[in-house]
Amino acid sequence: MSQINRRNFIKAIAAASSAAAVSIPLSACAGPGAKTSSGGGKARVVVIGGGYGGATAAKYVKMLDGGIDVTLIEPNAVYTSCPLSNEVISGHRDIKTIQTGYDGLKKRGVNVLQDFVIGVDRAKKVVTTKGGKKLEYDALVMSPGIEFHYNGIEGYSEAVTTDIPHAWKAGEQTLLLKKQLMAIPDGGKFVIVVPKGPFRCPPGPYERASLAANYFQHSGKKKCKVIILDANDSHSKKGLFTQAWKAMYGWEKDGMGTNSMVEWVAGSQGGNVNKLDAKNRTVSSDFVDMKADVLNIIPAHKAGKIAVDTGLAKENGWCKVVPMTMASAEDENIYTIGDSCVAGEMAIYGNPNANFDMPKSAHIAMTQAKVAAAAIVAKLNGLPTPQPYYANTCYSVVGDDYGFSVAHQYRVVDGTFKYIKEGSGISPILMPDKSPVPAIYRKLEAEYADGWLRNVMADAFI
Amino acid sequence: MRYKLLIAMAALGLVATPALAADPIQGLVNTCNNCHGTGGVSVGHSMPSIAGLSETYLKNILMEWKSGARASANMTRLISGYTDAEIAALAKYYAKLPWTPVVQPVAADLIAKGKDITDRCETCHGVTGGKPDDEETPRLNGQWAKYLELEMLKYRDPAFQMTHKKMIRNTQKLDQGDVATAAKYYGAQSK
Repeated sequence: MSQINRRNFIKAIAAASSAAAVSIPLSACAGPGAKTSSGGGKARVVVIGGGYGGATAAKYVKMLDGGIDVTLIEPNAVYTSCPLSNEVISGHRDIKTIQTGYDGLKKRGVNVLQDFVIGVDRAKKVVTTKGGKKLEYDALVMSPGIEFHYNGIEGYSEAVTTDIPHAWKAGEQTLLLKKQLMAIPDGGKFVIVVPKGPFRCPPGPYERASLAANYFQHSGKKKCKVIILDANDSHSKKGLFTQAWKAMYGWEKDGMGTNSMVEWVAGSQGGNVNKLDAKNRTVSSDFVDMKADVLNIIPAHKAGKIAVDTGLAKENGWCKVVPMTMASAEDENIYTIGDSCVAGEMAIYGNPNANFDMPKSAHIAMTQAKVAAAAIVAKLNGLPTPQPYYANTCYSVVGDDYGFSVAHQYRVVDGTFKYIKEGSGISPILMPDKSPVPAIYRKLEAEYADGWLRNVMADAFI
Repeated sequence: MRYKLLIAMAALGLVATPALAADPIQGLVNTCNNCHGTGGVSVGHSMPSIAGLSETYLKNILMEWKSGARASANMTRLISGYTDAEIAALAKYYAKLPWTPVVQPVAADLIAKGKDITDRCETCHGVTGGKPDDEETPRLNGQWAKYLELEMLKYRDPAFQMTHKKMIRNTQKLDQGDVATAAKYYGAQSK
């Protein structure tokens, strides 16, 4: 993989910038800067959470109105991307390629505060941090991501995750699971436990299984198996995954892949895990007891704790939003974006209405952030509410030169989300004439996944 | 000229113009920038920069994807969610931005070889790919080499439905081993 040419790119931007500084009078460049709602002083926007959603919101508010005072609060100095972190676990990618800091946002004039929010006073519009800071806001962007709930599985707890990783928030957990997977003996079992939906990154568990199988093939551990114990009866991009497993990993026709390298156990077939014997790395459901060599439990999750504590997560544990602006249904001054929100009718896999709510992906979080940023800047400047556009593209790389994607688009009609079916859908399983999909399609999408990652990281953080 | 530059700078976030927040085109453009880079300048090797390509080229390719005349692994799906008027507006918007080559330097002998290989491309794209002969032809200088290589693979693969007969013919004349070299040659050009 060649080195990213970011230095040249930044040079190009810098060149454009200095050239422009000479030729355009400052008055033509700088916006007036929205004033605070209480009159006087700059308007203040506070962003909670420096993931894809929060970073994008901070950047885009600043881009649209440099006069607004923007503060991003995030406890970590380095962000590790969840998208494509499965490639780190399977040894296909260095973790450094999915990490970024916050210098890019700082250069854009965003105040980045490395701290942790412990409370939001909605009446006074004040955010309090663990470090003892109190920040007033005119608009607050709430992008805290997810909070794990361990209590659905007996014997499971946060303490156990240092031995049985979730790797569903990327970073140390990603490396821990990688280390365990690399040490698996030939013939070993890698078990992935999937919680009931909706969960962050709908295709993630199946992509992880695919790349693990790919690792087994390349490392001479051909007797290893990856078994997905799934609380759900269907899953994201199922037709595409099954096709890929048949093509590459010996998936058989019994629908579960019993004798193949990848096996998928549906919730109704015993995949619904409710018990863990951590000491013996054994998980159980009503029908199945399974001992793993490497065990990866993805805990059930809901909106981040601060969103819950602030009284915003009233839609079955998730934050309901106003479609035009991404403002919270509970508070017009708070914008709830990213994985913590539910935008549209909540989808349950196997339900014919599935796909009607927005999937919990980085890409969606970013388009939600851009909608929120434009709505905030418009509101603070007394401009009309802009028309929102929401889009998602999510790539799954599942083998050598083998990737596919799903796209979603949403608009807002009469104040409600409208799923744009024509601009959405998965990569083809068969061509329109029912012939097999040429290999080049899968190769292209595997390549696009990398380009996508680099661009979303830059569009959010730089 | 100043207006053009101002729009370009706003696209890259170098100037703040709150009025853009309420501009409908801004919302549409935001959906493209995730994959094609802030302001349409890509940092992803397999994704093309789109800022500064000609309006005719952009509109043609988007409409060909929408009609299904031209294949794409993903754009055929995505673009079908946009109206013809929105597609025209997007083409116009990105065409107004300056072309920003992202120069990817390679060794001198590779440049020499690349120049030789791309002899047949010159008539339409110009010596460096930076001076297309007409509005229907894209700029190639400083475009991502990886992307250009993948585009040529598409033209060379009979299973992939491309529309430009001359491009199909000419890319198929290349030796397999020369495809990446031709792509790198254009990626290395600043002008």
